[in-house]
Amino acid sequence: MVAIIERRSFRDFDLLTSLLAVAIVFFGVWQIYNAQPEMNLWSKQIIGLGIALVAFFLVGFSDYRRIVDAAPVFYGVGLILLLLVLIPGLGVKINGQTAWLRLPVIGQFQPSEFVKIPVVLMLAKYFGARKSGPLRLREFMIGCGILAAPVGLIMLEPDAGQAMTYFPLLAVVFFLSGIKVRYVVITIIAGIVLAPAAYWVGVRTGKIKGYQQERINVILDPESADPRGYAYHTIQSMITVGKGGLTGIKGDTETSQAKLKFLPEPHSDFIFAVTAENTGFVGCISLLLAYAVLLSRLVSGAREAPDRSGMLVIMAIAGGMTFQIFMNIGMVLGFLPVIGVPLPLMSAGLSAILSTFIAIGFVISVKMRRFVN
Amino acid sequence: MKVYDHTQNLGLRVGVIQILAFIMLSVLGARLYYLQVVRGEYYDEKAENQRIRLIPIPAPRGAIFDRNGKILVDSRPTYNVTLSNEPIKKIDVSDRIDDYARGLNVDREFVVERLNLIKKQNDFETMVLKENATIQDITWVEAHSLEYPELRIDLQPQRVYPLKETLSHVLGYVGEISSKQLEKPEYKEKGYRPGTIIGKGGLEQYYDEYLRGRDGYRKVIVDSRGRVQQEIETIQPQAGQDLITTIDLDLQMTAEEKLAATPTKRGTIIVMDPNNGELLAMASLPAYDPSVFVQGSSTPEGRKQIAAYWQDEKRPLYNRAIQGRYPPGSTWKIPESVGALEQGVITVEHSNMVCGGGIQIGNKFTRCMGSHGSPPLSYAITKSCDGYYYRLALKMKVEGLIRMVEMFDYDKRTGVDLPNEKISQTPKTWKPIIEKREGKWSDIKTVYAGIGQDTVVVTPISMLRAIASIGVKGRMYVPHFLKEFKPIGAIGNEDELGFIPARQGFTFQHPEPKIIPMTAEQEEVMVKGMWGVVNGGGTAGSIRIPNFDIAGKTGTAQVASLGKDVGANKDHAWFISFAPAYKPEIAVLALIENVGFGGSFAAPAAKGVYETYLAKRGPTVAPDTVAENGKR
Repeated sequence: MVAIIERRSFRDFDLLTSLLAVAIVFFGVWQIYNAQPEMNLWSKQIIGLGIALVAFFLVGFSDYRRIVDAAPVFYGVGLILLLLVLIPGLGVKINGQTAWLRLPVIGQFQPSEFVKIPVVLMLAKYFGARKSGPLRLREFMIGCGILAAPVGLIMLEPDAGQAMTYFPLLAVVFFLSGIKVRYVVITIIAGIVLAPAAYWVGVRTGKIKGYQQERINVILDPESADPRGYAYHTIQSMITVGKGGLTGIKGDTETSQAKLKFLPEPHSDFIFAVTAENTGFVGCISLLLAYAVLLSRLVSGAREAPDRSGMLVIMAIAGGMTFQIFMNIGMVLGFLPVIGVPLPLMSAGLSAILSTFIAIGFVISVKMRRFVN
Repeated sequence: MKVYDHTQNLGLRVGVIQILAFIMLSVLGARLYYLQVVRGEYYDEKAENQRIRLIPIPAPRGAIFDRNGKILVDSRPTYNVTLSNEPIKKIDVSDRIDDYARGLNVDREFVVERLNLIKKQNDFETMVLKENATIQDITWVEAHSLEYPELRIDLQPQRVYPLKETLSHVLGYVGEISSKQLEKPEYKEKGYRPGTIIGKGGLEQYYDEYLRGRDGYRKVIVDSRGRVQQEIETIQPQAGQDLITTIDLDLQMTAEEKLAATPTKRGTIIVMDPNNGELLAMASLPAYDPSVFVQGSSTPEGRKQIAAYWQDEKRPLYNRAIQGRYPPGSTWKIPESVGALEQGVITVEHSNMVCGGGIQIGNKFTRCMGSHGSPPLSYAITKSCDGYYYRLALKMKVEGLIRMVEMFDYDKRTGVDLPNEKISQTPKTWKPIIEKREGKWSDIKTVYAGIGQDTVVVTPISMLRAIASIGVKGRMYVPHFLKEFKPIGAIGNEDELGFIPARQGFTFQHPEPKIIPMTAEQEEVMVKGMWGVVNGGGTAGSIRIPNFDIAGKTGTAQVASLGKDVGANKDHAWFISFAPAYKPEIAVLALIENVGFGGSFAAPAAKGVYETYLAKRGPTVAPDTVAENGKR
């Protein structure tokens, strides 16, 4: 693949997007260090970034169209990995979820992080080939089918958080494939009406478990929630964020929320709370702006994509990232329930950083070919 | 837009997604502004509150000494296992009841009680789960520190009662404040909380305020599991003030030995200095071991022992000297005689009354133990002539008896510095009740009251206080144990945080003694009669000590009517006295329950105390007496 890299490619390489992503990762490495100074998670994250950059360049300098053509193969491999996770002995159980796969040489990784890419490619391949006109029912069914298989397998782990991150991929693709606006409106209205109703029915029938209810209740009324119970994460996260104030705690790292172990999972799911405590409002807004710039770069890349599938790849990735950022930070800021979704580019974790950089690699690849038509 | 598709408004749709993304990021930014800028201080305070904790350093209580500096009560450092109320992680300690009970060898029910108590407490408060932790307990807690972070080992001074049962009623014991006590305002305002150690009974309770120290504390930073990470500051505790009592341990030991040597082993001996009210000994048997309450409240064996104390029919927990009320029998004749003299019913010159071998009231004849003719007062005392006092009482009338009761303060507490002192009951108490019930107060009641029976039950301490005044010109002092409280220095410097001011030493504040109006002649008659009891062929002639004249009076108080006074219903034996008769240094009261004659049981017990006193003082007069004599 490296052999096909042409000189012209370098000129079209989107350096700004790449540097911005790497910068966010380094900012994250600093926060991982703040979260767990005595563990070497931060150095692992740098090694992870190195591996991710190799994959990033490989993908970025390949022709995305060929990879999209091969999407069914990747999709199939992805489903197999998700199946392997469920086989006792291969899958590793952590915190009641069998989301990890231990493989020789590669080590431990989380297939549900990676399978998003084949799903995006699969959707891009199918919907990229369509002709203009509004979305048809058959297309709608096929799109749902593409998503259903991996999401179903992930729900068996069970990892509702990861499963949820798949839906925006499909939503974006549908939206950009001419789904009629009235259907969008109907869906939104139905969602607003049906979600509380479904919640109520779920509580009544006992399908929604007690701890899940409590996680919802703490969002609605944090003051009266039990601070020792399932509200613990949310309350401690809000304390940590609020404590950061305008410019963050200065020098007083010995008594940080993470150091004293009040904040759970400070290096992964709650890395944003650590950021908020250490860098304050100023640091957090800077990070949000960085994300905004990164997303804008992706969207502008989509606008210049040479074909429909390329555009869909970029927009699905951008949509998925936005959703994940919103879910994660919303959880940290205490207005969304606690669901285990990592913060893209920030949370410690090899699988997450690798899959994110592969995704951005596709964006780069698409952008690089914007003039080749 | 490269991919041009009119029908789908593709460019617009991409724009919609982009705007949506920005809206989402803006929502996050707004929320951040609210949490960090608007509510930043609130959360900063919350974070500080959950990481900073005050761990009390319990102060040792003041020690208690006898008058010669012998230690009676001390404190020693012990390790306690404490349970902390951790609010952070959901710890359902209820699942751990059995683990705690087994691991620490404490009563399961006790663990349940503790858990129920601590659940009502503020966050981070602690309660003792096991006192006197052994090496095994400490190891167990350390080994399970990850499993049970709510358990902690604390160093705490514990009360030690080296004398065991000796003096237990006077000393009292300490224990955790009860939930009932906590509801009382006087405890509430002192900031006591469940688990606070307070004095219970005896001097421990009466002088709790001075004996207790002021706790210090350590301000520390803890992690989410409550483990101490860093120490910010330490405020040292201030120990309680040491108490020097008036007790003479040797006399106390003798008194208890003598009581223990009686057939029933039940009763009380009180020893007092009649010249100032200092109590040299106060024995009450049966007794209890205060350590059981201090160390045993959490162990199954200890709890069983405590329950046994409460249920024991012989009532070992109750201080017979100040809480027991007994018919005084013939000892009552002493204050009665003084009253009669004061009221002019008899005079020193004309004190004779007919004995008559008894008295006929209506159709009932009440006997005297002997036939004494028409004796004068001192002879009536010496021989304890009932007939004399039947008639004297009738002559004084019940009103006269009541006036005497008031004169000797039998209608009040003596004011001894011990809690829960009872008040004697006399015709003053009973007259209104009887008159309401029976229409009138009959003569027979006056007759019985004249010999300290029926409507008269008195506390031994009130009896001793009254009698001891006879030899000292009628001065009735308030009996007390406090000799001196030692001062204690301040902790830290003034204007500094955690400063605890010094506490001043002080001695017993003697209230003015109550003076019983007595002329020198009247006093002489009284003392002569009492002298005769021991030295003039009286009812306690058997305890005479050469060259040490005891003045006393025996009493044999009926508990049941004649004929039924056997076995458990035998008479109470009394002996009240002071010595030397004409210059009293010491007053002794002995009361033995249900043994029979005062002269046979109570007087010999009192004699033992006098002998110990003499052995300590030496056969000659005390040096200060010599000095006073020299001045004359």
